[in-house]
Amino acid sequence: MAETVVQMRDVTKNYRRDAFELKVLQGITLNVEAGDFVALMGPSGSGKSTLLNLLAGIDQPSSGDLVVAGEQVSRMNESRLARWRQRHIGFIFQFYNLIPVLTAYENVELPLTLRRGSRAARKRRVETALSVVGLQNRMKHYPRQLSGGQEQRVAIARAIVTDPTLLLADEPTGDLDADSGREILDLLGQLNEQFNKTILMVTHDPTAAARAKRLVRLDKGLLVSGDAGAGS
Amino acid sequence: MIKLIRRNLLRNKRRTFLTMASLAMALFILSLLGVVNDAMSFADESEIPDRLVVRNAISLTFPLPEAYEQRLRTIDNVVAVTPQNWFQGVYKDQRPENFFPRFTVDPETFRSVFYDYTWNEEEWEAFAEQRTAFAAGRELTEIQGWSIGDTITIKGDIYPIDVELQLRAIFDYDEPGQERQIFFHRRYVEEAMGNPGQNGTYWLRLDDPNAAPAVIAAAEAMFENSDNQVRAETAEAFAASFTEMLGNIQFFFTMIGLAIVISIFLITANTMAMAARERTTEVSVLRTLGFRRNQVLGMVIGESLAVGVLGSLLGVGFTAVAIQGATPFLEQMGFGFGGFALDSQVLVTAVTIGISVGLLSGVFPAVAAARLKIVDGLRRL
Repeated sequence: MAETVVQMRDVTKNYRRDAFELKVLQGITLNVEAGDFVALMGPSGSGKSTLLNLLAGIDQPSSGDLVVAGEQVSRMNESRLARWRQRHIGFIFQFYNLIPVLTAYENVELPLTLRRGSRAARKRRVETALSVVGLQNRMKHYPRQLSGGQEQRVAIARAIVTDPTLLLADEPTGDLDADSGREILDLLGQLNEQFNKTILMVTHDPTAAARAKRLVRLDKGLLVSGDAGAGS
Repeated sequence: MIKLIRRNLLRNKRRTFLTMASLAMALFILSLLGVVNDAMSFADESEIPDRLVVRNAISLTFPLPEAYEQRLRTIDNVVAVTPQNWFQGVYKDQRPENFFPRFTVDPETFRSVFYDYTWNEEEWEAFAEQRTAFAAGRELTEIQGWSIGDTITIKGDIYPIDVELQLRAIFDYDEPGQERQIFFHRRYVEEAMGNPGQNGTYWLRLDDPNAAPAVIAAAEAMFENSDNQVRAETAEAFAASFTEMLGNIQFFFTMIGLAIVISIFLITANTMAMAARERTTEVSVLRTLGFRRNQVLGMVIGESLAVGVLGSLLGVGFTAVAIQGATPFLEQMGFGFGGFALDSQVLVTAVTIGISVGLLSGVFPAVAAARLKIVDGLRRL
């Protein structure tokens, strides 16, 4: 039986805006198994990105249990969370968010600089990650010298270079043309199929969602359809 | 991390250069003011603690009777007394390079109080014997191109006499500033003026520096009921009061310096805050990747510190180079009798200020960047 990477139990997230309390997530229960590829769909404001942020440990739930990669994310302090993210989470942003002053190689190397390890070992890992995304010949290029699709592939290489437990993608094709979007989805599919990476992808695009193994829909902070996952 | 700091500094080269250059320019001006301030200081850093000055209590411009010399000599712990007078006049013309301090002295007693000048004994004897002789500091003779035997004329402006003097002795002193003055016979001026029997100051040498407060009190008490009350003070205090006569220019310079430091701090802080604000999303991305708060803090402070360090080095480097070229100009402007030199104190002060400005200007944006919630930073796309 596959290991459970994400276990959410009755997770809520509320935001206070002046006198009002916004209930963004209302008692979400969701499990994601290792090797799964989950697409998270829903209209704007449904709480997709908030859910992703909670899973990435960059935001904290208001209540409920959230265990990711075997650790209670909601009980970790800031410093422990940073180390945990470094080890277990690979994040792919809609707008790539590469550091413009660093080359493709240096952008991918960035998460590894937080870890111990020789320069040679780091180089091997960066080159491997860049060859997985097909950009081994663009290592010395700066983000401004790359196309949108290439930038997103560098961002994917940066997300996988530490071999994280969970890959989180926030509308990874949202800023790309159809061809580039297809390439990125192929790449995510390949990472899931060939390298058994666990992926949770937020998307508006039904075509993109169709590439996932499992679809989960959110509306107004509630899980409205889709399998909540084994053990739920 | 260092690579990231370096690249971020080069991200907007023009802005970094201009920030660094403005800091460097401010420190250059600050160092220059410090150098001029030092040069204007009459206080000898190695001031002899066993010397006191006695002058008219009203002001330096009022003289004291000649007879005071003998009476001062009777005070306990006073081993020697010598008069000294400023001779206000013009050498050649009013150009600043022809201005130098000139004092009339009594060769009979001068060296018993001012024992720290170095003389060639034969030259000293020649100077002491000739009523129209003058002695000049070595540095001044080099500047003016004087040799032993040369004759100069100083036209009195306050004094209604002109003095014609012949160089008979050249003295040396540990501090170059002291070598930019001349001494000549007080008796020569006294006679030319019809023997008014007055002196501007009396310099006292004590056998025990610890006796200074008692001697000061005794000297002031001695003439308390006379027409010419005196003020006695240490040589250092006297030098300070002399500077006050210049309109407290040093204080003025210090205020200018302070204004420069505050302005440059605000400019640099604003620039660093702007640079940090522009990268809010990037900081959040770095923290998503696993960078901790203190690493972000270190990165932003590191950038501003680098600006501070490089700006400081540029500033003092420029000062060191420029001081050579600026010296004749500053001297022409009339600043300084002590010679210009970028001493270590000015250098250390400038570098410390530069680095502090860099460091402090980075603290607020760094703390703001480190405290920003990651999700808030990512929302600012």
